[in-house]
Formats: sequence, C-alpha cells, structure tokens
Amino acid sequence: MDYPFWDIDIGYGIIMAAIAVIHVFVSHFAIGGGLYLVIAETIARKNNDQLKLQFLEKLSKFFVLVSVVFGALTGVGIWFIIGLLNPAATEVLIHNYVWAWAGEWTFFVIEIIAALLYFYGWKTLSAKNHIIIGWIYFISAWMSLFIINGIVTYMLTPGDWITTGQFWDGYFNPTFWSSLWLRTGICIMLGGVYALFVASRLNADEFKKRIVRFNSLWAIGGLAIMIPTMLWYVSAIPKEIVDAALEANLTPIKAMNATYIYAALLAVLLIVFGFLIPKRYNIVVGIVAMLLALGWFGEYELMRESIRKPYVITQYMYGNGIDVANAEKYQEEGLYESMEFKTDDKAADLFRRACRSCHTIDGYKPLKPAFDGTDEAFITQIIMGTHVIRGNMPPFIGAEDEAQMVASHIYTQIDKRHISEIYNLEGVALGKKVYDVRCGKCHVFGGFNDKSESLLDLTEEDLGDILDMAGDFADEMPDFTGDEKERKALIDYIMSLNNKESN
Amino acid sequence: MPDSNFLSAPLWLIEVLHIVTLSLHLIAMNFLFGGIMVLLFGQFEDKWNNPFVQKYIKMLPNAMAMTVSFGVAPLLFVQLTYPRQIYSASIISGWYWLMIFVVVMIAYYFLYALSFNKQTPTKQKIYLSIAFACLLYVSFIYSSVFSLAEKPDLYKLLYAEGQGGTIINPEIGSYLFRWLHMLTGAMTVGGFCIAFVGRKNEKAFKVGKDFYLWGMVAAMATGFAYMMGLGPLMKPFMKSPAIWLVTISFVLSLGSLHFLFKKKFAIATTMLSVSFIAMIYTRHVLRKLSLVGFYDPSEMTVNAQWSPFVIFLIFFVLMVGTVWYMLKLYFGKQE
Ligand code: HEC
Ligand code: HEC
Repeated sequence: MDYPFWDIDIGYGIIMAAIAVIHVFVSHFAIGGGLYLVIAETIARKNNDQLKLQFLEKLSKFFVLVSVVFGALTGVGIWFIIGLLNPAATEVLIHNYVWAWAGEWTFFVIEIIAALLYFYGWKTLSAKNHIIIGWIYFISAWMSLFIINGIVTYMLTPGDWITTGQFWDGYFNPTFWSSLWLRTGICIMLGGVYALFVASRLNADEFKKRIVRFNSLWAIGGLAIMIPTMLWYVSAIPKEIVDAALEANLTPIKAMNATYIYAALLAVLLIVFGFLIPKRYNIVVGIVAMLLALGWFGEYELMRESIRKPYVITQYMYGNGIDVANAEKYQEEGLYESMEFKTDDKAADLFRRACRSCHTIDGYKPLKPAFDGTDEAFITQIIMGTHVIRGNMPPFIGAEDEAQMVASHIYTQIDKRHISEIYNLEGVALGKKVYDVRCGKCHVFGGFNDKSESLLDLTEEDLGDILDMAGDFADEMPDFTGDEKERKALIDYIMSLNNKESN
Repeated sequence: MPDSNFLSAPLWLIEVLHIVTLSLHLIAMNFLFGGIMVLLFGQFEDKWNNPFVQKYIKMLPNAMAMTVSFGVAPLLFVQLTYPRQIYSASIISGWYWLMIFVVVMIAYYFLYALSFNKQTPTKQKIYLSIAFACLLYVSFIYSSVFSLAEKPDLYKLLYAEGQGGTIINPEIGSYLFRWLHMLTGAMTVGGFCIAFVGRKNEKAFKVGKDFYLWGMVAAMATGFAYMMGLGPLMKPFMKSPAIWLVTISFVLSLGSLHFLFKKKFAIATTMLSVSFIAMIYTRHVLRKLSLVGFYDPSEMTVNAQWSPFVIFLIFFVLMVGTVWYMLKLYFGKQE
C-alpha cells in the first residue's frame, strides 16, 4: 500500500484546518439554520407576523447561497484534500464505509434540492408546502450529519471494530451518540448566532428587540445542549487515549480549555447583548459572536484531531499513513522496500514517508530548530526514539540504517555552527539551551517525564557520570554527544537549578 | 487487525452504481457546460436581452448545483475501485487538482451574479465567458488526471521528476482528443438541451438543433481521432464488447438527431440517453483495458456488507421519491 507524497511547503495541518474548519462551520450552521427557519416561519405564519416573515425571507437568501455553494463545495474540497494529504487513510475509510458515504450522499442531494426550492418558493409556494419543504431540508441535512458522524467518530474511537472489522461495530462506536448530540447542539447554536448576525443589521426598533431576543434564545439553547454533551463526549473517549494525550501532548488539553473559554465568552455576549440590551446588538457584536463561534469550533476540531495522535485511525493507522499491522515488518525488513514511489534520493524519500506529513524542515512544525547545533549520531538516536518524545509521535517505522539516512538528510539542512554561536549564549543560559535541545524533548523539569529526582542535588561528578552513561538508561535515550563546552554548560545549568531549590 | 483491502459489494454492483451516477453527473454537466457554449457561441437575436437566453441563464446556477451534487457519488465509487490510480495521479497534479474546487466556486459566483440581477450585455458576456473558462479548466484537469491514472508507469516516472504536485500529464497527445471529445459531446448535448428548453420558441429551437447537428459531427470526428490514437489498446478495444457499444451509440445518436428535428422529444431523449450511457460504459471499458497488467479490480476480495448496502438502497429510493414529491409540491397547484 503506497502512494506518492505531495511535497509542499505549507504544513498539512494548516491546509486541512483551513478547509475543514470552514466546512464544518458552514455545514453545521446549514443544519441549525434550517431548523431555525422552519420553526421561526411556522410561528410567524401562525401569528401572521409579516415583519418576521420578511426578515426570514431575507435571511434565507444568503443562507441558501452559503450552504448550497460554500457548504457543498468545501465538502467536496475536503474530499480532494484528504485524498491528497492522506490517501492511505482515505482508502481505509472508503473501503470500510462506502455505503455510509453513499447514504450520506442521497441526503446531500435532497438537501441541496430542498434548499433551492425553499428559497425560490417564498413567493410561489403556499405556506403549507413551503414549510413542508423546509422540514424536508432540515431533516435531510441532519440525516447527513447523523451518517457522517459515524465515520468521523470511528477515526478517534473505532471501538470493537479494531478486532472484529465489522461495519456496525466501528459505526456505532463509543463516541457516536455523544458526538451526535453535541454536534446537534452546535448546529442550533450556530443557527442562532447566524440569525443574530442578520438581525444585527436591522434598525434599532421594537422589532429588532423582539427578533434579537428570539434569536439569542436559540443560540443559548444550543449552548445549553453543548455543555452536557461535551462532557459526555469527553468522558466517552476511552481512558487510554485521554491519558496518553494528557501525559505527552498539551495541544488537546489547551484546545479543550479554549473551547470552554470561547463558550463562556459567547454566553456572556448573548446574555448582555441578546437579552439585556438587544437594540444594541449591532454589526460589530454580530461579527464578534460569529468569530467566537468559529473559534470554538476551530479549537474543538483541533482537540479532536490532536487527541488522536499518533494515529489517524486509532490503533489502526499512524498519522503518516503507515498501518500499524505492518509496522513490525517494516522495522525488520526496512520501510524503503515497501515504497512504490521513489526518487533518486533514498534518504529524502524515507524522510517524506516517515516524518514529512507532520513536519517540515523549516516551516510548519519545523525540525531544523530542534536539531540546530547537534550532530548526526544524536539525530539518529532521536529518530529511533520518536515515540518517547513529548508530543505523541508514532515510532520510527523502519530499519536502523534507514533512521541513519533520515538523520543525515536532516543533518545536511541544519545549522552546523556550535550551539553557543547559533544562539549567542554562554554559561548557564547556554546550558539551558543545551538541555532543551538534547534532553528537553523527552524530559521537562516539573512536566513531561520529569527527571528532577534523578538529576537534582547531585555533584558535578555524578552529573558527569550520568551524561557519560546517558545512552545506557534506555534504548530510546541518546548518548550525550555534545562537546566539552556543551557538557560543562549543561552541568552548570542543572546545578543552578539545585541552588534555586535549596535556597 | 482488520484488513481494509476489500470491496464491500460485488464489483458489478459497484460498477453499475458508478455508471448510473456518473451518467447523472455528466448529463447535468452537459446541460450546464454545453448550454453555456451554445449561449456564448450561438446566434441568438439580440442575445443578451433575449428572454429565452435569460431564462436559460437563470437555470445555470441550479444546473451547477446538480452537477456538483451528482458528481460526488461517482467520485466516491471510482475511488473505491481505483484508489491507487486516482490518488496517485491526482497527487502528481496536486495543485491543479485542488484548484478545481476553487475554480468551481468562482464559476458559481459569476453564474449567480448573472442570474440574480440582470447585467448589461457586456457584463453578461464577460461573466458567462469567465464561467466558461473556469469549466474549461476543470474539464481539462479531469481529462488530464484521469488519463494519467490509467498509466501507472508514467505517474511513477513523473513522481521521480517532481513531488510538488505541479506536473500536468505531459503526454497531451494521448488525451487531447479525449478531452475534445468530452467538450464537443457537451456542446452536442447542450444543443439538445437548448432545443428542448426552447421547443416552443422556433428561433431558439433552431439554434439548439444546429448545435446538436454540428456538435455531433465534431464529437464523432474527435471520438474517431481519439480511437485512432489508442495505439496498442486499439486491438483489444476492437475485440471488446465496447466496439459494439460505440456502434450502437453511433446509430442511436443519428436516430435521436432525426427525431429531434421532428420534435419528437420523448423518443429523441430516450435514444440520446441510451447512447450516452453506452459511451460512458465504453470509457469504463477503456480504463480497464489500459490497466491490464497493472491492476484488475475484479481480483479484489469481496467482503460484502449487505445490511449497510440495503440501507443505502432504501435511502436511494427515498431520495428519488422525496425529490419527486418536492418537485410535485413546487410545480403543483398551490391552495
Ligand atoms: C503523526 C505526526 C508526526 C509524525 C509522523 C512525526 N512527528 Fe515529530 N512531532 C509530532 C508532534 C505532534 C510533535 C510535538 C511538537 C509540537 O507540539 O509542536 C512532534 C515533535 C517532534 C520533535 C520535537 C520537536 C522539538 O521542538 O523539540 C522532533 C525532534 C520530531 N518530532 C521529529 C520527528 C521525526 C524525525 C519524525 C520522522 C521520523 C517525526 N517527528 C514524525 C508529530 C509527528
Ligand atoms: C529520546 C528521548 C530522550 C532524550 C532526548 C533523553 N532521554 Fe533521558 N530517558 C529517556 C527514557 C526513555 C528513559 C528511561 C525510561 C524513563 O524513565 O522514562 C530515560 C531515562 C533517563 C534518566 C534515568 C531516570 C531514572 O529514573 O533514574 C535520566 C537521569 C535521564 N534520562 C536524563 C536525561 C538527560 C540529562 C538527557 C539529556 C542529555 C536525556 N535524559 C535525554 C528518554 C530520553
């Protein structure tokens, strides 16, 4: 199973985030907006509320354009992107879940046609028929969420599928239901925030007050669903996954905290401008609310993607598209053997295959700064130990001589001056840098895999011994290959921490 | 650990679905793309104020929506049966491939701008030309990437030359006529659509009819040229059932031409549709032939997932029923 590698300077994570976040934002809002429209229309028709009907008609124009054009095309865009960025994972998804995708497609078609008819039908359809089409729109849009939700959650929590390989085991997986209701809450919240945005442009009169309050109620209602379902969702993720993430990778935790902050800010904004001073809900407030919602979604997706590290499909396939089932074989026989797409530079090919989908040398998640001023032996050993580095990386899946080739490929591109010269540091400051580069990838004082206990309160001599034996502590831990100057600075730095502690 | 290298239904079933949905996509595409060609190059009286032209322009964004919606399914099925080939070829041309959806968005924008507000004649011409150029781009990239996908040796070679996704299939000779055949085919069907939509408008009908006639001549010429350029594939092609399909669709096209001229739309449409599907099937056979020796999807393990499949079928029927119901509501009498 092998594909060419699309070698571009932009980070894969950035491309994916740019399109995926916009798409999920628009597509969830297309669902929530649909529900908002039919319900608001039903109420308005019942009360013969012409002002509100006019407002809804105006709202639906942009709404349909955005969901039909932008939602649909960014959705297709995601298809294109995942095929380019991670064809192996896309292939797994398609082979296992093609009937789910195909089912989703049928609702997608209904949704698009219903949206268009709803939009064109304001003038020509009877009230009853118009509302029927509105309901068909919302139901089919929500059904496509229902279906796609099974595939998206499967990637993080494949559940029993990992042993049975059965369609339904992976589909109705441990996070299916919590994610479905969480996303439904998001839809409702986004529908309300969007309706508020449209209302923000109205003149500050009694009608505006009424409609802003109505819309805020929607958005708050959505938020109210999101809070318990988010907790449910997080608790449904198997403990091993959460623990591994907590230990090694701060990104998902930071992202999760950020979602709480965004949600709280949005709630405050809605209460103040939505309920207390609704006439002041102007366009600036409207935009801020949209941005907060977008920010929330971005962080949520970041959490979902990063908590899954090092996998793209948990326990089944690593983020670089190498399947777990073949890992051992490649480590014995070599990764290069399995590659079909090659250039005349073997080291570069291996680097692309093993690291490039998550790192660049000098741009997105760059490796150059992590290795500047070090040596080839060190880089090789780090590569052999990627799985113990902070960040939840996959192990290097290849033979040892291949790790050396990747190391030399990286080595030719780094800054080869002495580390003190590169960063212009001396003494303890230099020592700290040396620690960050040579040790900090795997041990953080007071943090990840902390070694304070073994390193602090030792004599200079003992520390020297530790550095001499460094490579013996663990297979993954590199020898200390820095020169005398680095060594002295590093020891001084560690000793300086001693002093601080005892003072 | 589960092996994902399998087909979740018998191959023939997937192929039927692929061909059916691809036909829907291409019909919508021809209505759109071919329609735009006829509008741009046809001789309509006072073109940009002509009510018929305006009517057709107003339908274009919806035709675009249908083209995109119906395009998703065949893309799914082709990725299911030919993942290696499709992904590899699209990665080689990565940037061009990715730009497709951006370019489509631009085309959309101009089509909506045309249909929402009546623009000045110059603007109409410019907007429509931009949309046309966008679609021309998309069609060319599709022809280029899909023909590259049929040449595993070539895409491996190209990968060794450049990994940045900026390479366009350099063997233009091998797909130029394939692309032109798609274009002229779209123009032909576009002519048919114009004639059909304008059936009550003699002048519009005549423009459509002429495009149908001359488009068909051009499509036959380019199709023939493409066939002649098949090289080593020619022999197996001549021996395959596809050659009969080509013959049948040739005859049916002529038949449909005859009935269109007589304004017998039902039979003309039927003949055109059958011939259309036959051509799509021919394209399918050609792909298989060119991959002989590299890859044969019928060798994939079949590991049928019947319950999800049946649910999909129910959804499919539901889709047809719901769309029909909505159209009935929409065009029916309102109380
Ligand atoms: C699945 C994605 C993935 C793959 C594949 C991957 N890494 Fe990483 N790597 C990460 C993440 C995530 C981090 C944490 C850094 C961060 O949060 O920015 C990281 C961190 C690192 C660091 C520490 C960076 C620092 O600043 O200290 C090094 C060194 C590194 N990776 C090297 C490699 C090498 C060499 C390879 C190929 C053999 C590789 N990685 C493959 C995701 C990956
Ligand atoms: C590639 C990752 C990695 C790097 C880089 C690394 N270590 Fe380690 N280290 C490990 C592993 C793995 C172990 C053994 C298992 C464990 O305790 O986590 C270990 C163990 C140790 C121990 C023994 C701990 C004990 O419990 O007694 C010390 C001390 C230590 N490392 C210090 C250092 C110092 C100092 C550096 C920098 C010169 C360094 N390490 C660099 C991975 C690393």
